[in-house]
Amino acid sequence: MNYLLRGVLLAAALVSMLAPLSAQAQAPKGKLVLYTSQPERDATQTTAAFKQAYPGVEVEVFRSGTTEVMGKLAAEFAAGAPKADVLLIADAASMEALKKDGRLLPYPEARVAGLAAGTYDADRTYFGSKLITTGIAVNTAAKSRPASWADLAKPENKGQIAMPSPLYSGAAAIMLGTMTARPDLGWAFFEKLKADEAVAVRGNGAVLTAVASGEKPYGVLVDFMAFNAKAKGSPIEFIFPAEGVPAVTEPVAMLKTAQNPAAGRAFIDFILSDEGQKLALSMGYIPAKASVGMPSWLPPGTVIKLMPTDIGNVVQNNSANLKRFSELFGN
Amino acid sequence: MADTAGLRERAEETALLWVLVAIVAILSLVPLARLLFEGVAPGGRFSTAALSNVLSSATTWTAAQHSLVTACGGTALAVLIGATVAVLVALTDIRGRNAFVFCFVLPLMIAPQVVALAWLQLFGPSSTLLKMIGLAPAMGSRNPLYSAQGIILLLGVQYAPLVFLTLRAGLRTLPQELLEAGLAAGAKPPTILRTIVLPLMTPPLVAGIALCFVSCLGNFGIPAFLGIPGNYLVLPTLIYQRLAGLGPSVLSEVAVLSCLIGFIAVLGIFLQDLMLRRRDFRITTTSNAMRPFELARWRPAVEIALWILTIVVLVLPLVALLLSSLVPAAGVPLTAKSATWSNYDYVLFDHAAAKRALVNSFSLSATAAIVIVLVAVPLAYFLVWRRSRLLRVLNLAAEMPYALPGVVLAIAAILVFLKPLPVLGLTLYNTVWIILFGYLARFLVLGLRPVIGGYYQLDRTLEEAAQIAGARLLRRLATIILPLVAPMATAGALLVFLTAFNELTVSALLWSSGAETLGVVVFSFQQGGDSTYAAALAMLTVAVTIALMLSTLLTGKPARGVLPWRD
Repeated sequence: MNYLLRGVLLAAALVSMLAPLSAQAQAPKGKLVLYTSQPERDATQTTAAFKQAYPGVEVEVFRSGTTEVMGKLAAEFAAGAPKADVLLIADAASMEALKKDGRLLPYPEARVAGLAAGTYDADRTYFGSKLITTGIAVNTAAKSRPASWADLAKPENKGQIAMPSPLYSGAAAIMLGTMTARPDLGWAFFEKLKADEAVAVRGNGAVLTAVASGEKPYGVLVDFMAFNAKAKGSPIEFIFPAEGVPAVTEPVAMLKTAQNPAAGRAFIDFILSDEGQKLALSMGYIPAKASVGMPSWLPPGTVIKLMPTDIGNVVQNNSANLKRFSELFGN
Repeated sequence: MADTAGLRERAEETALLWVLVAIVAILSLVPLARLLFEGVAPGGRFSTAALSNVLSSATTWTAAQHSLVTACGGTALAVLIGATVAVLVALTDIRGRNAFVFCFVLPLMIAPQVVALAWLQLFGPSSTLLKMIGLAPAMGSRNPLYSAQGIILLLGVQYAPLVFLTLRAGLRTLPQELLEAGLAAGAKPPTILRTIVLPLMTPPLVAGIALCFVSCLGNFGIPAFLGIPGNYLVLPTLIYQRLAGLGPSVLSEVAVLSCLIGFIAVLGIFLQDLMLRRRDFRITTTSNAMRPFELARWRPAVEIALWILTIVVLVLPLVALLLSSLVPAAGVPLTAKSATWSNYDYVLFDHAAAKRALVNSFSLSATAAIVIVLVAVPLAYFLVWRRSRLLRVLNLAAEMPYALPGVVLAIAAILVFLKPLPVLGLTLYNTVWIILFGYLARFLVLGLRPVIGGYYQLDRTLEEAAQIAGARLLRRLATIILPLVAPMATAGALLVFLTAFNELTVSALLWSSGAETLGVVVFSFQQGGDSTYAAALAMLTVAVTIALMLSTLLTGKPARGVLPWRD
């Protein structure tokens, strides 16, 4: 009896020891390399929150502008030694280009329930994490409040408009591709802007500085920048134009050459989870999952009219669009 | 026995000499040779594709033209201001000379990008200072500094002290007897200036012009802040944009652009040489510093004019920068209620990259200063007391990374260190170590020149006595020479520290996440629209610079002629 009982007890003890071990083996650990083009503050907060949710993972971050991140990736692909596991970059166009090159690893089991349609790839290779819309920013002392894109391009606003250059900003490139494909705006809109002597500056940051300082009372700007500045007291206001707003989704994706795919999947899970979406909300963005709420700066009851974006189309025409833009506005 | 001792002695000396030659070669010659090689043989294969691509592109020549325009304009303005001030300070009897020189030289020690940022905050519709006094321009008016004229103005202001220093050093050697002879013969001061001083001062003036031209050509901070927003590109900012946007794949084209800048710079230096070679400018007499021109009733007016110049050039922009760092966001007028320290809080305690940058800049600058001085002392020993053609080439090689624009060195460093090192397998690219390499290569000459000056003041007999007593070379260097050149060496180290602490040009191209420097963080704040954070961080660097400069005035014996702000 004793031997049998002892054997069963031993076996039970071993199993009970192994069970937590195997659960721990399932939890992701090790090093996760993230390349991101989020603003520095957001990248720090995101990685900190992720580490709280998954304490076994050590996150190494490379943070720079979209073009710099893509350039670094390209250099690493060329050298045959890509270091990144997951990417969190500004726009779906760059992700689409990577997907075409076969660099992304699909994640079919990702929990996409509740995400706005069109914010994630049909083949589950990349998933939007938030909604960043581009609208009209005005200095509070400006003479008028344009209610639509057409209003902005009126001749009365000559010499007073700043816009981000699509040659340097991913969000602006998507805006260019989306708006030129619409019959009510098209290239005529940008030609009108050029006739108004609109200045294409390097990045949304420069537009914010120009509008807030009063140098250019009207600007084309991303929503969160305008609202964060307004919250700190800057004399700037944001307007959602009547025709609608183009949006970028800041997608997250995993590379096929990821060294730590388990941790990569955990990162994507985190971004798409309620916790990750609430984090995006707290950082001042509109979340991709509408059920977690809306940011405080959005007047309640505002209906955001998103301009539909055919991302494949945008990517295909991107270089032609950029070339035409640089011919119109100068290099 | 004496023979073997002598042989051992010589072998030791030769070994040390070759170690130093290797260090200088690695720091200076290898990167520049690699750069030239990449221009003609990109990727290892000889091809003129990169060369023809770059030289046939319209953007290249537009940027080159802009570079020449701003460099010539900046040099002209700098010579105008610097020469006038040098003559007034060195040859007349104005009072408060030391304080004025300190304030006048300060912009040279402050980083160019901080100068640009400060002036930007001074003008424009949202200028906090102008709003306070009610002179802010109307909404919608462009900040006048975002133009070629703005760049020329700031380059002139930044480098006027350079011309001033070179010319003042030359004016100190002016034989007073000639001036007094002219005065006694009845010539008026303007005539004396034109017919005696100017011809004799041609070498220092031309040297100052050449130095100023090359500095304006290679300056990155000012055209980056004032030119990029308006798409007015010069060659350094064109290189920066190409590299930042497209990554290492465009290295060969960027290498060609760097060679182009280097070529223009060398042309400028060559012209200087040509101008000086034709005539004989040697001065045979020297005398003590007597100031022959008495201004009498002009004196108060001249002093007031000089101090107004200081206020306009230095005080106003710094005040504007300070005020901008106290508002919570861009465009908010500064009142007792809106003033806040939150920008400093954020930059010092919250922003990870800014904290890293403070640590990085301090440690990189300190390490560079110490290592450079440790290399400079034995190197100067050989350069001053063992003359040979090899050593003259070495001297020239050490000067080149400083004479050539900073972007050239940065691109060269990237090319050398992009792939892992051959034996050790370490990659320095994208780490702080490549920035350290850049600083060591670029600022070696800043630490070397003062130490060489120190050696010229030494009496060699002390060292020879020790040699006769049997002390070996390293022992002599450590126990006799080092204590004697210590004042000059310390001054050189301080100069290296301040210059490396404030620099942006080299680290703008070599930085990576985790290896930021202060200049890079200020730049990226400004580019990202956070001008208040940029202003706060810039004020902190100015405070550190001024504190260090003032601390040298409190210490005992001045190392004459080394620190620009001491007389």
